[in-house]
Amino acid sequence: MSAHETASAIAAAVTAGRLSAAASVEAALARIAAADPGVNAFTDVTAERARTRAAEIDAGLAAGKAPGPLAGVPFAVKNLFDVEGIPTRAGSKINREREPAGRDGALVRRLEAAGAVLVGALNMGEYAYDFTGENAHDGPSRNPHDRARMTGGSSGGSGAAVAAGLVPLTLGSDTNGSIRVPSAFCGTFGLKPTFGRLSRAGSYPFVASFDHLGPLARSVADLGLAYDAMQGEDPDDPWQTPRPLEPVSAALAQGTTGLRIAVAGGYFARGGEPDCFAAVKQAAEALGATRSIEIPEAARARAAAFVITAAEAAGLHLDRLRVRPGDYDPAVRDRLIAGTTIPAAWVHRAQRFRSWYRARVLALFDEVDVILAPCTPCRALRIGQATMELDGVTVPARPNIGVFTQPISFIGLPVVAVPVRVGGGLPLAVQVIAAPWREDLALRVAGELEAAGVGAAPVAG
Amino acid sequence: MTTSSLPLDDETAGAVVDAMVPLVGIPMAPEWRETVIASVKATAAAARLVLDFPLDDTVEPAPVFQASGPLA
Repeated sequence: MSAHETASAIAAAVTAGRLSAAASVEAALARIAAADPGVNAFTDVTAERARTRAAEIDAGLAAGKAPGPLAGVPFAVKNLFDVEGIPTRAGSKINREREPAGRDGALVRRLEAAGAVLVGALNMGEYAYDFTGENAHDGPSRNPHDRARMTGGSSGGSGAAVAAGLVPLTLGSDTNGSIRVPSAFCGTFGLKPTFGRLSRAGSYPFVASFDHLGPLARSVADLGLAYDAMQGEDPDDPWQTPRPLEPVSAALAQGTTGLRIAVAGGYFARGGEPDCFAAVKQAAEALGATRSIEIPEAARARAAAFVITAAEAAGLHLDRLRVRPGDYDPAVRDRLIAGTTIPAAWVHRAQRFRSWYRARVLALFDEVDVILAPCTPCRALRIGQATMELDGVTVPARPNIGVFTQPISFIGLPVVAVPVRVGGGLPLAVQVIAAPWREDLALRVAGELEAAGVGAAPVAG
Repeated sequence: MTTSSLPLDDETAGAVVDAMVPLVGIPMAPEWRETVIASVKATAAAARLVLDFPLDDTVEPAPVFQASGPLA
């Protein structure tokens, strides 16, 4: 199978007997060996394990066993997911000294139960406190569309591995934008489900209040396949909200007839490069969406997310900061140290504002089903770029990359990042945002954009 | 509703860092101090936006504790 095949195509071929799981996995391992040195997406390649797993799938198929909806699909995970036998480094120097994980993370287990085959773990910004994909210990992941550019982060390897065609499916985490930003910079589809939908058990945390896990892929159908395979209650995750299985794959063909779609105005219509808004306009026109809607107090929402993130992350890392602060990536360490000085009253107030904001935004979904917004305020920046210009003002690059993603994850809304090309440049993405638990609607709209040729995630190069 | 505070200047932010970082027990190298102070100022600026927004006392914090939940 070529680098361009989707997970759906691979699974169909394996299920039909046109391709063995072993051949699928060998092809992925060969692509990784050939192309990963250029993009630095992988930190671990689990070749032996993958070959064993593929052989089991092929043996099961030969015995007439149903192989699962992701039969023989090679996938890889951000290295904050537990992978049995490997220390869960979470992009850090410190954590790679930990004992190897004794068990795979919950979502890794669920994807493998559906027939997928793990082939490795992926580079990321240290401890996920990152929008760039840079890493002082493992080197930066590199954008497959321009290797001098950032992948975006913190799930940088997850974006690079999909965009480079190394694997058709990866998992990432998204606290303030870490699935959606790499999706925009690398030009992949990405799904950040509703907060509490998918189990976080067996993944290294960052900010308990906002952490989400989800897939990146090159088609909407692939996002749906992976998402459906990962749903379900998990007693090991106390933050998960009990929900019935609500599979989406069968609904993707329904299109958008009857859906009320609006474009986010105000805060989401300024403070970025013009092409970011042109991407949204392109999507809106393809969907026939003419309405604009104001998400109230989005700037304050981003600010509150910023405060809670800094405080919770600092609390998580305090013990390590006290004994070995010099072993952190400096770009992360100094923000964590600053986070230890935040007054508790500020955090309390930010969590109260979060309730207020959630109520106001949820009320918008009485009027509309889906909201479109830009994903990032810029295309992929140069690796190492410290500042950027927005609306004629020079601002620090790192915190401002997430200016449009933070107000959405702050209240856990499901979002599909849809990659869009404007004017032939590097990719951008549009956020397709729905009400809590309506991943189906966001994916249907994303699917419509893909069918219209507006959203597309071709392999780079 | 009163405004929360004036913008944090370098001197005040430095004083916060010099007081708080020893309190939490982090051995901070002198060369890190400048970027830590910049980050404290950025967080204070964000907090000011939040603190300046009036909220009724009845608005509850978003996280909800459930007594019947798992221990850990």
